[in-house]
Amino acid sequence: MRTRLVTAFVAVALLSALLSSWFHTLIESYRLPGWLDGVVRGPAFLGSLRYSTPGHPPLRVVPHTALVFFALEVAVLLAVITAVAAAASRPVLLPVRRLARAAQRMSGGDLSVRIEPRGRDELTELVTSFNGMAAALQDKIGELERMESRARQFAGDVSHELRTPLTAMTAVAGILHEHPGLTGDAATAARLVRQEVLHLNRLVEDLIEISRFDAGTAQLVIDDTDIALAVDRCLRVRNWAQVSAEVPAGLVVQLDRRRFDVVLANLVGNALRHGAAPVTVTAGLEPGGPGGLGGHELVVTVRDHGEGLPAAAMPHLFDRFYKADTARARSEGSGLGLAIAAENARLHGGRIDAGHHPGGGALFTVRLPAVQPACSKAAAADWATC
Amino acid sequence: MVTVLLVEDDPAARQGLELALRRLGYQVQAAATGEAALRDFRAAAADVVVLDLMLPGLDGFEVCRRLRRDSDVPVIMLTARGDDLDIVGGLEAGADDYVVKPVEPRVLDARLRAVIRRTARTGPPGGAAETYDGLMIDRGALIVRRAGADVSLTPTELRLLLVLSGSPRQVFSREQLLGLVWEHDYLGDSRLVDACVQRLRAKIETDTSEPRYVQTVRGFGYRFGPV
Repeated sequence: MRTRLVTAFVAVALLSALLSSWFHTLIESYRLPGWLDGVVRGPAFLGSLRYSTPGHPPLRVVPHTALVFFALEVAVLLAVITAVAAAASRPVLLPVRRLARAAQRMSGGDLSVRIEPRGRDELTELVTSFNGMAAALQDKIGELERMESRARQFAGDVSHELRTPLTAMTAVAGILHEHPGLTGDAATAARLVRQEVLHLNRLVEDLIEISRFDAGTAQLVIDDTDIALAVDRCLRVRNWAQVSAEVPAGLVVQLDRRRFDVVLANLVGNALRHGAAPVTVTAGLEPGGPGGLGGHELVVTVRDHGEGLPAAAMPHLFDRFYKADTARARSEGSGLGLAIAAENARLHGGRIDAGHHPGGGALFTVRLPAVQPACSKAAAADWATC
Repeated sequence: MVTVLLVEDDPAARQGLELALRRLGYQVQAAATGEAALRDFRAAAADVVVLDLMLPGLDGFEVCRRLRRDSDVPVIMLTARGDDLDIVGGLEAGADDYVVKPVEPRVLDARLRAVIRRTARTGPPGGAAETYDGLMIDRGALIVRRAGADVSLTPTELRLLLVLSGSPRQVFSREQLLGLVWEHDYLGDSRLVDACVQRLRAKIETDTSEPRYVQTVRGFGYRFGPV
């Protein structure tokens, strides 16, 4: 915008220079008052630059001197014009720039930005409108955030309330189911009740877990975890002997053991249920991590040999209650497994990525910042504290 | 026959848990409020208390504290949240362990058995009294004295001390302690261990900020001594 203004000023200046030259030609014949005459015709020394060749009446300006003088004149004029143009455009450009910066900060998330209106022209109007718009936006977004937090709070509260009746039901569902006197339909009914009560328990548990993430009250309980042992136990406890694990021995990382188990169990369970055998788990340390400060990441992968993840499901995988295969809507899970796994990873400062294994099948990769214990067990066996 | 004092205010939950406990072979005395529980405690002669934390009137923490004033009876908290506050607060009030509601009867059973094992009134026969610079541990009689005075420990605190002092200078990880003392599986909550260590230190250490008996080994766990 500044170039446009400067170009306009220069054009106007050149035009007026041209016009002034024409004016000078016209003014020759007029007799002006003394003081005005001195201004219009210019300073006296200009006369000394003129000469006349003997016998030729018209006065001419010395050629080279004239050119030099003219060049100087143009240079000074351009400089003055540019300075004036810049100064004139400043009061226009400055508020525009401030407006642009404010808009940028707003889109960056800072809705509290306001500009102080100065003066009383069209720009001030613009600034006032901007302020009004920002305030309205801030209010609206605040309201939406409050609504969302109320909805999440509600979900958490409801789940919590469900625990009470579930306590009684969980305590006795097994008794009904195991009763020897029940036969036929009654026995089936009792079995269903027990099964569904346990299912409901898991669902409520997952809902409460998610609501903790939403409320920001989820906490990490960090412990030194031997990854090979953790993976092995995760699989053994669930009788997943068919899953193979490739984890280097002696890899110890500080993380929340329970959450790590939850994440791994969910990914492996999904692989077994929705993918196809064989399912493989790998783990290892890789350079990387947040901020690229030369730290390390624990990278855990779970792959299967199924048909891979459907393209339509990819963007929604970690959404709550999303189930890719709606035909199998009835499943053991709550539909929150991946969402919880993703939150658990995020809580550690890491993440989970879903993709395809080059050899076929789905591949889930968990990356967690690896903070390793400060020293080895051998070193600390005796007196020394690290 | 082991007697359980069950303190739970929700009638359905109380009935259901009582039923389940009886089917598991326990004798059950049920109380609907903390006040009733404290009142019936003596007469009930309970071997273990299962105590809901959210009670009307006197809350579970307070009931536990009052029980602890003159009894070493093992206490298992029934918590709906399993949050930090509950676990640490419960242990500080003197509880031994916790289960999260809704709880499956077999899980509750496992916790009850574990906590009762901890209160075995006799230690290994012929266990001599050991002294560690002012701290006397009699493994046979299960008595702990410091500077000549008896130290009153909950069954869990005692077990923790016995496990640690049974192998002086050996470092135990929190995971190991969870298994050895609480008999929780590998996913048990290590906050239990930390909170119990704090309680133990408060009772036997001269200066809890510089513990001599139960020492922390950063990044590894805890060990007894060296004194």
